[in-house]
Amino acid sequence: MSRVRRRVLFFVPVGIAMAAVLAWGLVGLPSFGLPHSDYARYFAQHATGQRHTTNVVAAIVFDYRGWDTMGEELIMVSGVMGTALLLRSTRGEEHRAARDPVTSELLTWLRPGMIPLVLLLGLWTISYGYITPGGGFQGGVIGAGAALLTWLAGSYQRYQVLTPDPLVDAAEGGGAFVYLAVGLAGLAAGGTYLHNLIPLGTTGDLASGGTIAVLNAATGLAVAAGLVLIFHEFLEDYTETVPDVAAEER
Amino acid sequence: MAEVTTLVPLLVVVPLAVAVLLTATSHWLPAWVPDLAAILAAAAVTAMSVVLVVATRTHPIVYWFGGWRPVHGLPIGITFIVEPLGASLAALAALLTTASLVFSWRYFEEVGHLYHALVLAFLAGMVGFSLSGDLFNIFVWLELMSVAAYALCGYQVHQAAVIQGAVNFAIINSLGTFTMLMGLAMVYASTGQLNLSAIGHQLSANPPGSAVVVGFSFITVGFLTKAGAVPFHFWMSDAYAVASAPVGALFAGVMSDLAYHTFARVYWDGFAPGFGVHAAAVIRGVLLAVAVLTALLGAVMCALQADLKRQVAFLTISHGGIFFAGIALLTARGLAGSTLYLITDGLLKAALFLSLAIVIKGLGSSDELALHGRGRQRSQVLPMAVFITVGLGLATLPPFGTFLSSALIYDSPGYGWLPPILVLAAALTSATVLRSTARIYLGWGPAHDPLLTSRKPDEPEEGEPEESETGLGLRTRLWLLTPALGLVLVAYGVAFTPSVAHELVSAAAALQHPQATEQLVLHGQQSPPPVVGSYAPSASAWAYGGSAAGGSLLLAALGLWWRRLGRRVEGVALVLARGLKAVHDGSVGDYAVWFAAGTTVLAIAWTGLVR
Repeated sequence: MSRVRRRVLFFVPVGIAMAAVLAWGLVGLPSFGLPHSDYARYFAQHATGQRHTTNVVAAIVFDYRGWDTMGEELIMVSGVMGTALLLRSTRGEEHRAARDPVTSELLTWLRPGMIPLVLLLGLWTISYGYITPGGGFQGGVIGAGAALLTWLAGSYQRYQVLTPDPLVDAAEGGGAFVYLAVGLAGLAAGGTYLHNLIPLGTTGDLASGGTIAVLNAATGLAVAAGLVLIFHEFLEDYTETVPDVAAEER
Repeated sequence: MAEVTTLVPLLVVVPLAVAVLLTATSHWLPAWVPDLAAILAAAAVTAMSVVLVVATRTHPIVYWFGGWRPVHGLPIGITFIVEPLGASLAALAALLTTASLVFSWRYFEEVGHLYHALVLAFLAGMVGFSLSGDLFNIFVWLELMSVAAYALCGYQVHQAAVIQGAVNFAIINSLGTFTMLMGLAMVYASTGQLNLSAIGHQLSANPPGSAVVVGFSFITVGFLTKAGAVPFHFWMSDAYAVASAPVGALFAGVMSDLAYHTFARVYWDGFAPGFGVHAAAVIRGVLLAVAVLTALLGAVMCALQADLKRQVAFLTISHGGIFFAGIALLTARGLAGSTLYLITDGLLKAALFLSLAIVIKGLGSSDELALHGRGRQRSQVLPMAVFITVGLGLATLPPFGTFLSSALIYDSPGYGWLPPILVLAAALTSATVLRSTARIYLGWGPAHDPLLTSRKPDEPEEGEPEESETGLGLRTRLWLLTPALGLVLVAYGVAFTPSVAHELVSAAAALQHPQATEQLVLHGQQSPPPVVGSYAPSASAWAYGGSAAGGSLLLAALGLWWRRLGRRVEGVALVLARGLKAVHDGSVGDYAVWFAAGTTVLAIAWTGLVR
């Protein structure tokens, strides 16, 4: 009997038993729509009043549980750094000028409109993150999408020019550092770490939520820059498979 | 106390801030800045943790981030609970990180700022993981340390074995963290709480149903996977074998075993109140079974390795089983012993891993058999002395740190059959260290052994940076040995801190009193610290410690010359060894199936916990 065959034969009963146990556990969960827990009810009742944000999720993410979000943001930053560490060490040093012309007319035609539009959508999702659905994580991803479009609809060289390494590194590390520094400011002012220091403003205004607004923007910056860095590393690997300009001229 | 409290967030924030600043400014920094900044940050965390250990001896510190204190007993924000046990583990993580960073300054010829940033993120994850009192927040720090560890493990990524080891590590650990997240979601859905004390409070009011029981099993599986308990341990030998020495020192010295201690906190604060006293026997039985299996299988597999790093990997698994046995006893002495063991043993294992680098780089191989007699040079006397000291320390040589730790576990009431098993595991694993030391530095025993998995001579060393010339200069060798020597000294010396055993037992007793913790966390009311008697190892503990140390010498001799026992013994040993090794074959698909089987068995064994 082959190894894989034996493994599958062993896994079938194990998988069935595991599914049965899991199902037994899931059946024991409270039914959908049952009264909320005290924890959930507290936020639903008090978040807007206490934090002056209309997006309760943002108040939880960047204030009540802002310490979690700081960890999450650092997980993302570490993931980016780890990817960069691994991919950079496998690549040669020499700079390559890859030739990757856009062949789709549709993309060329869409380019002037799409890139600013996506960038604007990203910025909007970040900046209104604590008022309407959205936030730094989501908006950062969209904003990074605009950078990716400059490669998809333009060229890798243009992508490189628009996102120089030192700037993107500084944005990624800087965004994460602002998050940490806002926490430290609370500490320095004699409160606890991540204590909300800034006036809360009028509910529904862009200038509301106090430190939530700053943390939200810092997260957006770090996420966007982190994704741009990841794209950069993947594209570097990809362009190694594309014949470069110098090779063609030879 | 106000000033001391301020240190709590800084334990996590200082390494993270240095890490992100290094990332942000990397293009403009001279090469020595990341090294120095990272060492200073890790040293600062060490110092702050030690201050907190001392400051929280009588009363733990409860720190609410963002100032969100509980409202009428309902926790709103996230809390760290700093008490001496968790703070000591944070100190251990930070001290090992400092030593590892000092070591890597000279060890790597070129290492970018990303390495330092990831090591610091890894440290922050370990510290948060040891102190957090919120189930989801624990998961966040677990993820942070895992993500950083995957990348650090695969650092020498152009070697094929490194990719395999790091990928196995990432896949099995991710299975563990996903399982844990699923369990966490089930517990949250049932209790509506993430704070450990609030979960405990909810569960004592509304007895746990099937969702909580399965959720608790899944959370346990997550911790056991990180800790490398059998049968969730398979990733460890593959990952450790390919990690470079300074990273491996952190993995073996502290990363895996922290999960045992955090499991203990999660169990005591979050679940013990709900499961009640009658369930304790079921929980204890299952945990002890896992612990004993882990200690023994790890020890046997350790003895069957020729690769020095794989020896440390299985030694870590086996000793993890010993720590877990202390936790599984559910006694204050057991938990205190387990924590002290984790610290002293962790220091020794990290020193061992760092010293291995000197063997691998200086003598050109990490294979015990290939290195037979190659260490018989005057320049190798100091490394040999380090190995012997570490080996005897791992064998719980009385009266030093590891002995005091194991004595606390042996002197826990009940389960008289347990200490001999733990003695055997400690003796067999340390015998393996002594065996390879004797073979390499004294040339004792044969240069060929059919029991030991040996690599082919043309295979490159895994995970270490490649060097232009072999051999190390005297100054570099001394630089590289110094961190290891420092760690060994601390490991040997820590037992002589005045009344350390007593302090640890009273901290453990406080940790095992969830009602008092709940009063403190949810209502801010301090209870008087529990009264525990003073502790001195009993006569039987001395006998166990002595027999582990003596037994390790005997077993080391047996390991060198076992083939003189005759052909029949040889035949049986070979069949057994082949069977065990066939299971540990590096195939991640097999590992995943073992993982699923272990998860299922654990969950089924605990179905009776429903009330």
